Amino acid sequence: MQQLWDFVSARKQQLLTDSLLHVSAVVQSVVIATIVAVAIGILVYRSPAGSAIATALAGTILTIPSFALLGLLIPILGLGVAPTVTALVLYALLPIIRNTILGLASVDPAVTDAARGVGMSRTTVLSRIELPLAWPSILTGMRVSTQMLMGILAIAAYAKGPGLGNLIFSGLSRVGSPTAIPQALTGTVLIVILALVLDGVLAVVGRLTTSRGIRD
Amino acid sequence: MTDLDTPHTNGSTVSGVDIVLEDVVKSYPGQEKAAVDNVSMRIPAGEIVVLVGPSGCGKTTTMRMINRLIEPTSGKITIGGKDALSIDPDKLRRGIGYSIQQAGLFPHLTIAKNVGTVPGLIGWDKKKIADRTDEMLDLVGLEPGLYRERYPRQLSGGQQQRVGVARALAADPPVLLMDEPFGAVDPITRALLQDELMRLQSDLGKTIVFVTHDFNEAVKLGDRIAVLGNQSHIMQYDTPEAILAHPANDMVAGFIGADASLKQLTLTRVAEVELLDCPTAYEDGSVDDLRAAISPRKIKWGIVLDARDRPIRWVSLHHLATATSLHDLGDPIDEVMSTQSTLQDALEALLAESSASTIVTGLHGEYRGLITIDTLVAHLSAMREEHAHDDEDAEPQQDGASERGTPS
Amino acid sequence: MTAAVTTKPTAPAARRSERARLLVQPILVLFLVVGVLGWAFSRDLTATQKGSLNAANIATLTWQHVLITVVVVVIVVIVAVPLGILLTRPGFTKLAPVFIGIANIGQAAPAIGLLVLLFLATGTTGFWIGVLPIAFYSLLPVLRNTILGLQEVNPAVIDAGRGQGMTAGLVLRKVEFPLAVPYILAGLRTSLVLAVGTATLSFLVSAGGLGILIDTGYKLRDNVTLVVGAVLAVALALLVDWCGALAEEFLGPKGLR
Repeated sequence: MQQLWDFVSARKQQLLTDSLLHVSAVVQSVVIATIVAVAIGILVYRSPAGSAIATALAGTILTIPSFALLGLLIPILGLGVAPTVTALVLYALLPIIRNTILGLASVDPAVTDAARGVGMSRTTVLSRIELPLAWPSILTGMRVSTQMLMGILAIAAYAKGPGLGNLIFSGLSRVGSPTAIPQALTGTVLIVILALVLDGVLAVVGRLTTSRGIRD
Repeated sequence: MTDLDTPHTNGSTVSGVDIVLEDVVKSYPGQEKAAVDNVSMRIPAGEIVVLVGPSGCGKTTTMRMINRLIEPTSGKITIGGKDALSIDPDKLRRGIGYSIQQAGLFPHLTIAKNVGTVPGLIGWDKKKIADRTDEMLDLVGLEPGLYRERYPRQLSGGQQQRVGVARALAADPPVLLMDEPFGAVDPITRALLQDELMRLQSDLGKTIVFVTHDFNEAVKLGDRIAVLGNQSHIMQYDTPEAILAHPANDMVAGFIGADASLKQLTLTRVAEVELLDCPTAYEDGSVDDLRAAISPRKIKWGIVLDARDRPIRWVSLHHLATATSLHDLGDPIDEVMSTQSTLQDALEALLAESSASTIVTGLHGEYRGLITIDTLVAHLSAMREEHAHDDEDAEPQQDGASERGTPS
Repeated sequence: MTAAVTTKPTAPAARRSERARLLVQPILVLFLVVGVLGWAFSRDLTATQKGSLNAANIATLTWQHVLITVVVVVIVVIVAVPLGILLTRPGFTKLAPVFIGIANIGQAAPAIGLLVLLFLATGTTGFWIGVLPIAFYSLLPVLRNTILGLQEVNPAVIDAGRGQGMTAGLVLRKVEFPLAVPYILAGLRTSLVLAVGTATLSFLVSAGGLGILIDTGYKLRDNVTLVVGAVLAVALALLVDWCGALAEEFLGPKGLR
């Protein structure tokens, strides 16, 4: 325990940097994924076939082991940030697509009928009525994706990706040395803590951005 | 069309415009029969026209073609003289009020934002929208200060419907489309909302197209009723009185239901029928005079009035036989009818008291006359007579693909 | 790696697409396997490559991978299902959030972290050092879905069962559990995919698996071995997911399908 504490306090700066890199990579990937996923969701939500296909494709991506996907991206994109972010964005897609479609499809038809009936154009109905009403669902998808990505990013350190995964792999390679366990442990624990913190932040963001009229 | 009874406006404010449908057809690909087959009708400005018919007859489809939520396959629709099919549909709808059964309020917006939707779309400035919103909420009976910042889910069904109507009226459209707007609330609230609508209409005089499957609602609200059959064919398009007195065919009769005559009684007020007279006297009047007035008559009763001409007691010859004064003489009066009551209320009162006649009073409670069962029956016969003659006159506004069958 | 919980798909279009997937997926797997192996063996392989890319080695690695997956899932089922049942019995329901919380942390923690930590802590490598962390990581979906599935059972149905004289145990066996099975199977499918995916990392603790091909390829800058390992891992994952889908489709009580 003392060893762990020493380890952490000695490397505060480094840990902070790694944490920031980790979180920022995840956040950026989720944001990109959200933009793509919501766009896809908007395109397909009115067609059951389209929705099923989009969901199935994104679901299949999730079946791919992250290490394998990373491996496949390395020959194409090289090492470092590129394959990492690509893999993260791909994985983040399904929960958000699924929830976007779910959220948009569950808007009460009477509401969209009334919206069209009072003279809103299709784009206005989408932007002012359907998307705001689907937002809580989309945000939930983003939360799920964020949690997932925090863990997956750790693997990317294998291909020189950013983040706290590097600590874990460091610990692995230094097996036997006294810093091995503290490194791996710190890396793992920090990821868990940060994941929970991020989830909390997103939950608060959700509360703040959801209209009182639809908040549970 | 017969002589028109006045529309429900007081005649001075008619802010609506007329709507004309010419040979409007709606057919869906892959379906053999058209959903709406060649409907032509004219909806006069400032009137409430109710489209009634069984489920699936196409009445909602027809209405939704007026604001082009459904595009007609062919035909012409004119609103206030302008061709509805040549205007951009979104713009068209901002000029037409739209109120539906589940209200369709936007749950994530406040009541104020809901009501101000169309003015916002049109581009009014904030102050104008805010003022108008308050005005509309007031109009539908919801206190603005209390309800402005609430959310739809905090309101009851009836209140949500009121907001829906407020939203429909906010931009002051000349035309209002209402699709079973009161269908989802309990009967008491429904009656209240119907009365509210009629009150609003008497102030505003809009052209209202109202869809319902409830014939009673149609009779209560409509200046004119279009009874629609399959494929939205117009079975009969006439005033409620005419339809009740003289249904065009069996289908219309079936839709009205077996109690057409009873329904007719809701359409006439006591003030419009002839009342029977009855001998009256004041409390300090002469007993002999009253006795003399009653004796030659068939009904051996008289009425004692107070100083304000209000009836207080029944007096029979029997009471008068041994009386010296009219004070405290006779039986107290239980029920009276006002001239504003409907004939149906009068029938209810007659049946409730198992009596042959009921006293009718005027607006200040003063005695006016008696109403009897005979009066009601005579009235119904007269109605049937009057509308039987309609068949022989030309029907300029009675159009439709199907012929009106003459009942045998 | 899949996301947290899946509930059973019920919308008609979704079901039809699930059925379509049941047919398409194994064909895709076959295509991938044949394709990548055909591609690899059609090239001139160096001796080192042949060391990794030969039928025997590939078969062994695949078998190891499958074994880890199967054992993980067995552990998960043995632990999570009874635990889930227990946590829905009257008296124990308050504990549910606690265990779900623990399983949540298990899922939030990076799988690789868990693997490395167990290795470092025990100082050993091998099969179980790979299996146990992966099992802990894959617990949540099954645990959560078992609880959810049992909670979803209409209380009126349980009431009817008790009313007919069934004991609590019988009601559980004959009524509650069968009704919860679709949810459990959905969770099981998620767990399966998590397990087979994470097992790609088990080579780090010398537990074998196809991941080693990826690692070898990466370290030696040998894209052929790398790609073969990756594609085979993907194919295996799709195959396992397909098995899970079959289970979902055909092992559920007939009346609910």
